[in-house]
Amino acid sequence: MSFSPGVDPCEECEKLLQPYLDKQLSDSERAEAESHLEVCAYCRKRYVFEEKLRMFVRQAAVEEMPPDLKQKLAGLRTPLF
Amino acid sequence: MRRPVLAFQSLDTTMLGWPAMSETTPEQDPRRLAEEARDRVHFEEEALALADQVYRVARRLVSTREEAEDLMQETYARAFRAWRSFQPGTNLRAWLLRILTNLNIDRGRRQQRSPDLQPLEEGDYYLYNRLEETGREPNNDQDRVDERLSQDDVVSALSAVPHDFRDVIVLVDIGDFSYADAAQILEIPIGTVMSRLHRGRRILKKELAEQTVETA
Repeated sequence: MSFSPGVDPCEECEKLLQPYLDKQLSDSERAEAESHLEVCAYCRKRYVFEEKLRMFVRQAAVEEMPPDLKQKLAGLRTPLF
Repeated sequence: MRRPVLAFQSLDTTMLGWPAMSETTPEQDPRRLAEEARDRVHFEEEALALADQVYRVARRLVSTREEAEDLMQETYARAFRAWRSFQPGTNLRAWLLRILTNLNIDRGRRQQRSPDLQPLEEGDYYLYNRLEETGREPNNDQDRVDERLSQDDVVSALSAVPHDFRDVIVLVDIGDFSYADAAQILEIPIGTVMSRLHRGRRILKKELAEQTVETA
């Protein structure tokens, strides 16, 4: 199903989904979110989508540190003597 | 489970009003000097061990690899000078990131427009809906998100997000910091972290949606 831009089809979903995915909810709030996910098919679908998207963004955005930079950083250490 | 809130007492104004940080030498006591040298070496080794993780965040806070490398070197030079300001037992990675984000802001980003002035019509469902409209049902294992979006799409979309929003997204989604940690690092209220994260993710999804439509 599709929804109009700017219209939240499930207010409950939006209130809980983002902090739930971010692991920012207390135990009772998390239980509330999970109870809602059990009964709301749309939120479950959104949850899986958002989770995959975040995982992909995290993996895609990672660029490893150039090997020589670590040596340059180590060169900034204070000499012992 | 909530992650522990960071203790940043050691940073206080010394970390914010550069370069007013204490670099006093200990008493000229050989035992104290030896302890100090040992603590400093330990600090430097721990900080260097975190360099890969700090770089991943730094790289997405700035536009180019060269900028990220410069920022890393400035950050570590400053951290090594100010090592006594770090309180052992607190979050060293967050401490380093706080130095780094302050340096990045000092580079002139304060000129940026207020993030709250930017209008944004699309809601949280924009990308989801756009993917459906292009005939690609989201949340289908046969057609996963990573098969519809490329790494370049993500990097490009992220760079299009205004700095104030991007900082929060990078810290939370790439750096894996809690809302509270991000608030401490950026020196903004936790409510602002949450609102910028919410809005920033909307902008990111809008950018991704537009790229998805372009390549459909």
